[in-house]
Amino acid sequence: MLRLTEKEVLGLCRRILDLGFEVIAPIDINGSLRLAIVEDGAKPVLGYVRINNSPRYFLLPSRESLFRYRSSATITSYGVKMRFQTSEGPCPITITPEYNLPKKRLAFFGIHPCMLNSIAYLDKVMLSEPADPYYSARREGMLTVVLECEEGDEYCLCQSVGSYRIPEGYADIILRKAGEGYLARSCSDRGEVILKELGKPDDGAEAGEMAPRMKTKYALEALSEASIDSKDPNPSLESCTLCAACTVTCPTCYCGDIEDKFSLMEPTNVERVRVRMSCQRRCYSTIAGGVTFLKTRDARFRWRLKHKFPFSKKAYGMVGCIGCGNCIAQCPSRIDFRTYIGRVEA
Amino acid sequence: MKAEELNPYIPRSASVASVKNESLESKTLKLRLINWTAPFRPGQFVQLLLPGVGEAPFCIASTPSDPKHLELTIMRRGIVTNAVQYLRPGDAVGVRGPLGKPFPLDRFEDKDILIVATGIGIAALRSLILHIVENRERFREVTLLYGARFPEDLVYRDDLKSWAEKIKIIITLSKASPEWTGLRGRVTDHLNDVKLSREMAAVICGSPAVMESIAGELINRGIPKANIYVSLERHMKCGIGKCARCLIMGGLLVCRDGPVFSVDEIDMKAIGG
Repeated sequence: MLRLTEKEVLGLCRRILDLGFEVIAPIDINGSLRLAIVEDGAKPVLGYVRINNSPRYFLLPSRESLFRYRSSATITSYGVKMRFQTSEGPCPITITPEYNLPKKRLAFFGIHPCMLNSIAYLDKVMLSEPADPYYSARREGMLTVVLECEEGDEYCLCQSVGSYRIPEGYADIILRKAGEGYLARSCSDRGEVILKELGKPDDGAEAGEMAPRMKTKYALEALSEASIDSKDPNPSLESCTLCAACTVTCPTCYCGDIEDKFSLMEPTNVERVRVRMSCQRRCYSTIAGGVTFLKTRDARFRWRLKHKFPFSKKAYGMVGCIGCGNCIAQCPSRIDFRTYIGRVEA
Repeated sequence: MKAEELNPYIPRSASVASVKNESLESKTLKLRLINWTAPFRPGQFVQLLLPGVGEAPFCIASTPSDPKHLELTIMRRGIVTNAVQYLRPGDAVGVRGPLGKPFPLDRFEDKDILIVATGIGIAALRSLILHIVENRERFREVTLLYGARFPEDLVYRDDLKSWAEKIKIIITLSKASPEWTGLRGRVTDHLNDVKLSREMAAVICGSPAVMESIAGELINRGIPKANIYVSLERHMKCGIGKCARCLIMGGLLVCRDGPVFSVDEIDMKAIGG
């Protein structure tokens, strides 16, 4: 392990920037700590507990263009009453695939192990056959520098879901706070090359597993579909404002919608976009004819828990909750699922 | 390789070959695929893109023996299906697919088959019925139990006449006018007219609540859950398991694991929602 001062760690960030990566690190933006692209002068924050967004914002953006196409549609009202002209021949649609590839490869700097687990989960979903071409293009050649978490806040639950452990093959460099400085170790060939360039002596020591201190420990129990269904309705849902902040800030919420967008000035140039969709909205489960499967907020709250725990475990062998607690911390009513499906551990 | 072969989100070109009015609210579009073929099996679906309007999933309702053309029967319900009503022959559309898991035809062969369809749900089963009619010798007794509300709601009227020569057809209307001379009532009222056995295969498609009640009735009459198949409907957006909009109870995705499920694979609650 290499012993680095805080200045040297920030130097490491600049080094990765110089290597041509788009570096994404926790940055204080007007008092809100967010993962953001490091530009000149921005200083990554290292000693932090919670960031208000997650790597998902970069790997699976809230709005992304899938492709553009030319349509021969003439819109006379909102996409409903329309006429197709056939003057352009038998096939007037021309589709231009627009992969919107990132100009540079992405590097996440100083993210906590829980966020690394969220990337591992998104990989399972988006890279399973058939792989999502947009996600895999962003994911390609990604570099990660993980900062081990020392202490969680009152909303964290990584100990309950085990996401403080760093998933194998996902970290390139791991940083650990030690006194005033940091201990750095590499976990991949690329990480080793970058650390070697620093010219610091390696003491060869092995690092054990580090579990962050928790304010309160929760034992999550009722994680099967039947047990979530059999619970009484959560009384705190009375104060749910349906803002969907729980799903918007969740690092693993990937549910989406695909829409066609065009400007009324140029209605023949259509953009197909993918946007995120929240299961907390009623329209999430509405099908043709207005049949809605998740009618009540209680059903939708249970649905979120079922998707995170039993469904994900069954489909991808990994729970979809990475214990970051963003869904509780960002909820205006502080609706806490930990007490609903678990209990405080002594 | 072409972009649409690499990228599952990019639709392929097709043009409307003909439009047929089936009922007041539904039409059958015959699509000609331009420079490609879609070898599909009964039960699979496609995503139909109407330029400038959007995409929606529809079960293929044509015979699998013609992979150059697809027929989709579409009822006017939402934004895309409303726009479908304005399509004319020659118009261009985009098609992604075929997607999803088809009916396990090998498990149907040499067996009695009961096909229960209500309303526009018959569109999802037409492909299967056409396959059975074309390969009639491979199947034993086949019964189509088709229910609708009003006589105007009945679709595939011409087909029903020609199918009647090959398979047994029972049509029942639940809200028929006094002039209707045929059977009345719900499809479950007429299950006594069908020879049911433990070995037979039953296929159901209709509105979610109706499918749940029919499946429950068939189970009560002793047909094993593994022999009852349903074709589920959800508003799939991507069709390849990446948007989770078609997630159902049990953590299955309708687009990837379905839309055809046997009732023992899924929770009964997943059928009715």
